[in-house]
Amino acid sequence: MVEYRADVLVGCEHGEHPDLVGALKAEIERRNLGAEINVVETGCRGFCAMGPILLIEPEGIIYCAVKAADIPEVVEETLVKGRVVERLAYQEPVTHQRICHYEDIPFYHKQMRLVLRNCGMVDPRSIEEYIASGGYSALEKVLTTMTPDEVIQAITVSGLRGRGGAGFPTGRKWSSTKHAHGECRYIVANGDEGDPGAFMDRSMMEGDPYAILEGMTIGAYAIENVREGYIYVRDEYPLAVENLRLAIERATEMGLLGDHILGSDFSFHIKIVRGAGAFVCGESSALMQSLEGSVGEPRPKHVHATESGLWGQPTALNNVETWANVPLIINMGAGEYAKIGTTNSKGTKAFCLVGKVRHTGLIEVPMGMTLREIVYDIGGGPQEGREIKAIQTGGPSGGCIPSHLLDLPVDYESLAEVGSMMGSGGMIVMDDTNCMVDVARYFLDFLKDESCGKCTPCREGIKRMLDILTKIVTGNGEMSDLDKLERIARTVQRASLCALGKTSPNPVLSTLRYYRDEYEAHILQKRCPAGVCRDLITYNILEAKCTGCGRCLRNCPRKAITGERRKLHVIDQALCIKCGICKENCVFDAIEVS
Amino acid sequence: MGVEFEPRIIAFMCNWCTYAAADTAGVSRMQQSLNVLPIRVMCSGRVSPEMVLRAFRAGADGVLVMGCHIGDCHYSNGNHRTIKRMPLLRNLLGYTGINPERLELQWVSGAEAPRFVEVTEAFIAKIRQLGPLSQEVME
Amino acid sequence: MSITLTIDGQSVQAEEGQTVLEVAKRAGVTIPTLCYHPALEPLGACRLCVVEVIQRGRSQIVTSCTMPAEPGMEVRTSTPAVMESRRTVLELLLSRCPNVPVIQQLAAQYGVTEPPFEADDPNEKCILCGLCVRACNDLVGAHVLNFSDRGISRVIGPAFMEKTRDCIGCGACTIVCPTGAIEIVLEKEALYAAKPLGPASAIYVPFLQAVPRVPVIDTDACIRFRQQARTNGELADACGVCQLLCEARAIDYTQQDEELDIEVGAVVVATGFADFDPYLAPQYSFGKSPNIITGIEFERLSNSGGPTEGEILTAEGVPPKSVAILHCVGSRDKHTNKYCSRVCCMYALKQAHLVRDKTGADVFEFYMDIRAPGKSYEEFYERVQEEGVHFIRGKGAEVTVQPDGKLLVKGEDADLSRVVAVSVDMVILGTGMTAQPDAAEVSHLFGIGCGNEGFFTEAHPKLRPVETNTDGVYLAGTCQGPRDVPDTVAHANAAAAEVLALLTKGEVVISPATAEVNRDKCVGCGDCIPVCPYTAIARVDGKAQVNAALCKGCGTCVATCPSGAIEALHFTDEQIVAQIEGVLKWV
Repeated sequence: MVEYRADVLVGCEHGEHPDLVGALKAEIERRNLGAEINVVETGCRGFCAMGPILLIEPEGIIYCAVKAADIPEVVEETLVKGRVVERLAYQEPVTHQRICHYEDIPFYHKQMRLVLRNCGMVDPRSIEEYIASGGYSALEKVLTTMTPDEVIQAITVSGLRGRGGAGFPTGRKWSSTKHAHGECRYIVANGDEGDPGAFMDRSMMEGDPYAILEGMTIGAYAIENVREGYIYVRDEYPLAVENLRLAIERATEMGLLGDHILGSDFSFHIKIVRGAGAFVCGESSALMQSLEGSVGEPRPKHVHATESGLWGQPTALNNVETWANVPLIINMGAGEYAKIGTTNSKGTKAFCLVGKVRHTGLIEVPMGMTLREIVYDIGGGPQEGREIKAIQTGGPSGGCIPSHLLDLPVDYESLAEVGSMMGSGGMIVMDDTNCMVDVARYFLDFLKDESCGKCTPCREGIKRMLDILTKIVTGNGEMSDLDKLERIARTVQRASLCALGKTSPNPVLSTLRYYRDEYEAHILQKRCPAGVCRDLITYNILEAKCTGCGRCLRNCPRKAITGERRKLHVIDQALCIKCGICKENCVFDAIEVS
Repeated sequence: MGVEFEPRIIAFMCNWCTYAAADTAGVSRMQQSLNVLPIRVMCSGRVSPEMVLRAFRAGADGVLVMGCHIGDCHYSNGNHRTIKRMPLLRNLLGYTGINPERLELQWVSGAEAPRFVEVTEAFIAKIRQLGPLSQEVME
Repeated sequence: MSITLTIDGQSVQAEEGQTVLEVAKRAGVTIPTLCYHPALEPLGACRLCVVEVIQRGRSQIVTSCTMPAEPGMEVRTSTPAVMESRRTVLELLLSRCPNVPVIQQLAAQYGVTEPPFEADDPNEKCILCGLCVRACNDLVGAHVLNFSDRGISRVIGPAFMEKTRDCIGCGACTIVCPTGAIEIVLEKEALYAAKPLGPASAIYVPFLQAVPRVPVIDTDACIRFRQQARTNGELADACGVCQLLCEARAIDYTQQDEELDIEVGAVVVATGFADFDPYLAPQYSFGKSPNIITGIEFERLSNSGGPTEGEILTAEGVPPKSVAILHCVGSRDKHTNKYCSRVCCMYALKQAHLVRDKTGADVFEFYMDIRAPGKSYEEFYERVQEEGVHFIRGKGAEVTVQPDGKLLVKGEDADLSRVVAVSVDMVILGTGMTAQPDAAEVSHLFGIGCGNEGFFTEAHPKLRPVETNTDGVYLAGTCQGPRDVPDTVAHANAAAAEVLALLTKGEVVISPATAEVNRDKCVGCGDCIPVCPYTAIARVDGKAQVNAALCKGCGTCVATCPSGAIEALHFTDEQIVAQIEGVLKWV
């Protein structure tokens, strides 16, 4: 094996910055450093706000927001001369101090990256790198030293619960699958991540596919009589599909998957099934219908999937993050793992921290960390001059947690208690520029198309709740609408067929619970306190601040602004479509929303 | 050489097909040798192996069993029995010292007078070649 | 196994596997439903039948139609939460379909008289309960209706919301639809497209000339019979439209097939023929286009009682502009049947005449030679020639379906000595007659002969054309060989006359050449019994006995008998041996 003097790890390579790796390789080639320096394309490192990111090992130097033009300097200074390029290092937002080492950045410092340990650190296409970083040692341990029952026992003791949202104890699920009657058993990994703003599963499938395969293989061994497993990935994740497919191929070649794994009598195959993009297929019964080739629609779950799931056989269906936790537990030991987290929620959880915080990105924290630590310490707090209003967790099925509950520990029970849920790990931070009525409306608008439409409460209820919210945000609401809204929400919650339906009113119910005043402001005063709902706001130019520079006038798409140069400009309210472009462009803060 | 050998051939003919064909051949004045000695039976299925052996013992140089084509049997499936018996008998003839070639099974339908002549003439020629049975048995 | 649970405080018994709804219904507890039908798998879509179930200390709201009854379960059907859920569901449904009486009435029962929201379409009737989808897929098996799209855009309809030829127009969907949202519109083209040239529904009159001319129910296609089969006879309440509409009350679903034992003196076998299976001649692409049809199918098409009421239309519903008629399909061909089917030339000519007469389309007849013996047949052939039908002397070699749906027929024109090809809208395959597939079975049943082609053998091809080798069994019509209608009638009349002659005489003459058992020699081995083609031998008192009335004297049993106990009268062993020895002595 070739040893290199340094590794340059490039994350965020896909998407917007396809040229970075090319530029880096070209520069290294030009300087004839190819034998010394290795360029690795890794998965996502999670620090989205600062991407694209370069990590230079073994020093652990991290560069943020790197452009192709910066490459020659990085190579010259850091890789040749061993100096840090200060201007590319991370800048602390409050003290403006430059931090050049990865571990020192608060965003990473506070995290506990266990499941995401390999994401952004190894080449996800290389099984050798995975093995070199400790991969497949868990499988080897399981196959050589543990009985299937001992594996299930370990998972049970570890306290691992489903990371897909509902939090069902994984050990119990495996054990009931194992003891159910059937010709054979199946295991399924749910990678049909569909929540708006969530990309944990994606990052894992793209950045560390082998961990998922290893977890599933251990699961298959533990549950016994499992010959086939499926990974259901939404087709909107082409890189995830590609990396998983490659991983399956490589693992099969290496004898870590397929027939006679590691020379034992144990055989297990994994197939990838691509979902066609229906959000509801993330629901387990719909997912299995879809896997079987039918329309992905939930069915009543009077009989659990562990008894009769895929093709009527006992099936253990877990989220990809849950599967990725399995090798970790085996390697750490169940007892050690159980020390992380709270009494009822063990281990770590990956979250997608997005919205109105400085440092958005993919994070992993131990269970029980408070929302405040996540939002302020890892996320860097609100944007300049803003105030955090709420945190939405759990995607469209979750609820909004108000800022006065910021000291709430993040675990399954605490989140449910305040009307939200863990969900798959979306965490959207909202500040005073977010209108909570509009937020509720946004999620319903998403769900109206993503409900499968099978049962009346979910299909018609969501539509009517959306009608009411639309009425409110356009200034036509009445106070009686709130009662109606609550009543429909209650029925949808109670009478819907599946979890998607039952949880769909959560955004409405939680905002009604904590922000009733905002609703009332919309209805009674016809006012949107956050200045979001277009029908209730007007844009005005403040005479005191306007310099007549003409920037707003030039950018207005509707030519609604008039005014001579160096004189006060005026918005014609009849033409204004309230797009807010003038406000974004005004450098003198002269445009006011009221 | 003395007088040329004239084989004597016993021909079992079923009443419905071959016998009718022989009749037609005669009525149609087709040229035939006189060596064939016809024995009419109702069905080729009536011909028991014993009967064939009795014919040889009585001095026949060859035996022809003839009946309807398979599927055309007047009695549906009488000739199904024949087609099983005769090949078996041929196999056994060897043990008695009689050349199995001296026994033949042929299907000739009522409409096949020319074929009747063809089949019988060919058999006569064959037996002529084989020589008298008495000579064969003595050897 | 019986289980006990409580419904509204009342203790009730239930069978394992029953749903809460079924148990409640039997106990006289009313639960409103919309998407439920006893003949169909419950879907749990409308959520109107929700009840509160308390089990293992946990209370939950579930749909009673899908919830299996379990021992010790406590069901409450009218708690405030249940009532509120139902009321809200009805509000939502009424807002969707404000003008559907069923929903109006149900809503009124729960105190909702006005829809709380404005409907997108006040004429909307469909509540997306999926009963029609389940009926169409699970019961009828037509697989026409299904859901498409999701969320608020969800709709029910055929694939791509396009008219489909898969719909058999059975109307099962309209019957199960609780809101009357589906209407059956009969379209001539649609009906034709629905089931090309076959019966359009599960109950039909086989053909206009059928005797007796009454409808029959195809139990494999009938919704009610299928339901009955699916539920092992437990349920038989689906559809029932025919019974409902029959003024004479002549439809009785409980009627069963019966086997009758009748003693008769004679039997006429008139089992007819089977149409040659055109799939056996794949060069003609039968099945690859709905416009390639057999002669029989054309008869159905041009029949005034047929699906198009006698109009000659292609599957697209328009009259064809050109038609090719291929002679000798499956006949006079060493790959299929070697024989000539006798009738095809004449029917092909008649069909050419019909096509010319009804549509004026160009007609091309591909033939080897025209076989038109019979009274006025040759004259008819000349008439058809004068009508402008194109005759191409040469067997049609191949039919191919072109990308635009047209059909290309190729053949060799022997008169011109060159290959010709015509592109047509419709191809009629002049399929020949073949024996019935079960002819061999029937022939064994009656002890009658069956030739290589499967047609029954008459006693003598010229002199006894209707008799068989079994006395009292006669043949009539095409079961004996291909023949046209006049010949069939003549044949049948002859058979009838033979039967009458036999029956009036009151006695039968049998041949004296029969077999006889010498009971002293018989050891009762029974070898003779299976070899008898006439089942004339039976074992009586441990010994074989020949029924002289049945025996035809073939002698097969005589040759079989290992103990020499059977003699064929007039053909005894002694007689035959004497003959042999006699002839040999003198030659």
